[in-house]
Amino acid sequence: MSHSVLLSTMILQMKQSFARPMFRFCLIANPILNTVLLYEMFRNSGEKDFASYVILGSGLMAIWGCICFSSAGDINRERFSGTLSLVFAAPAGFPLIILGKILGNTLLSLSSLLISLFTAVIVYRTPLTLASPGYFAIAFIAMIGSFVVISSVLACLLTLSRRTTLYMNCIEIPFILLCGLSFPVDILPRFVQPVSRLLAPTWAVELLRMAVAGVTDPQLFWKNLGIILILSVIEGLFAFWLFQRIDKRVRILASLEVC
Amino acid sequence: MIRRFFEQAWLYHKGRAAAFKLSEFLCFDAGYPVITLIFYCLLASYCFQTTNLTHWVIGNAFLMCTNTCIFGLGSIFNGERYNGRLRSIIASPCNKLALILANGVFPALFAAISVIGGFLVGALIFHVDFSGVNPALMALTILCAMLAATGLGLLLAVFGLISDSMHLILNCMSYVLMIFTGAEFPVSQLPLPGQWISQILPLTRSIKAMNILLGNASGDYLSLILCELFTAACYFLSAWALLRLAEQACRKNGTFDLF
Repeated sequence: MSHSVLLSTMILQMKQSFARPMFRFCLIANPILNTVLLYEMFRNSGEKDFASYVILGSGLMAIWGCICFSSAGDINRERFSGTLSLVFAAPAGFPLIILGKILGNTLLSLSSLLISLFTAVIVYRTPLTLASPGYFAIAFIAMIGSFVVISSVLACLLTLSRRTTLYMNCIEIPFILLCGLSFPVDILPRFVQPVSRLLAPTWAVELLRMAVAGVTDPQLFWKNLGIILILSVIEGLFAFWLFQRIDKRVRILASLEVC
Repeated sequence: MIRRFFEQAWLYHKGRAAAFKLSEFLCFDAGYPVITLIFYCLLASYCFQTTNLTHWVIGNAFLMCTNTCIFGLGSIFNGERYNGRLRSIIASPCNKLALILANGVFPALFAAISVIGGFLVGALIFHVDFSGVNPALMALTILCAMLAATGLGLLLAVFGLISDSMHLILNCMSYVLMIFTGAEFPVSQLPLPGQWISQILPLTRSIKAMNILLGNASGDYLSLILCELFTAACYFLSAWALLRLAEQACRKNGTFDLF
């Protein structure tokens, strides 16, 4: 039963998300515009594999935009539609439904990476050459997992607020900055870098870049993958703990719809 | 009449900001633009391999007005529709140009303050030296830029009468400003049609004028400022003319609240 709930939630979420103009912006327009912007900024950088920064950077920024403006905001949309309490109390379980929504959004948002790639190829004739396709596939799955886990934490946190729109807007750029989606985190100030290293997507992005450039040190690749797994488990447990606390709180205070 | 104009302007500002606490207002109107400025300056330092970020601090400080002038103002008619006031406003015998201008007073003021804040952040974090700049000319440049950006925001707002995709339009416009105004990379990098587009957008000339003041570029400061003022006037008049057309279309088709 849980599989069918998950699947139907995913499909429904994809349809609902695509119907919203903001999601269409994040999914289609954002990767195209970001590719143009990053290409023009990177073209004189002297970076050897700048195509990977442009395509991966703009694609990942767009994926994060989709997650930010959909996964994080879905709870508020349910609240606005008056269906949040129904979803919360559904026998299938609120976490499962939220996971279905997040998976649906994340899978749909992956197409923005393809759009970035097509934009770079069609407009700038800059293809992305994958030096290690096998490692790239592994890094890609790790990246999806890390984004899903972060989205779950955000979705839980934003359940408690009515000002989701404000927070969605406020977390987009800081996350891109901290996770090094468009430039390496090494250029961030030293005191910020530990925060970056606590976020699983930071490591996933590094793995993707490593795979694009060619994995010369497989041991380092597997070590970084291990770190992503550990961080994802910790963040997943944190999301579960948050949900337990929120569940208890909204049941006691009866404040789910009026947070 | 002037008192009433400013009362109306204050009322519009309160309507937009009343839902937020002071901390949230600061978070969205100051924190988020500052983080965005830091992000793009760091990205530029990596892409252009430079520590002299004067050009990008100026460009991104001017773009800080996007939040208020584009997103804030651009959605005014959507907001009026949401609050059920749109019919009353359109049907009232008041001067629509005054209504449009009143809407823009406080956003332009806050945008100017945020630009100054951007310069301060740039001076503190990226060590940009503004000490040799004439404060009066600097204030004049900021004022002209904000007038032009406010004009564009109001022109976009009118589209809210005839479109339900304002999020899409406004987000695309924020990227258009980033790509075409020369804030993130020199306008000369763009193909010729792109350079023409940059000339009809607000901020392009103000950014160049500010760079001239800082000795970062050469050109005729006065003609740039006059052209920016002319651009602002064109946007305000276009907004007014388009509002009249949209109003007539809405009256004729009965689509104030529908599309």
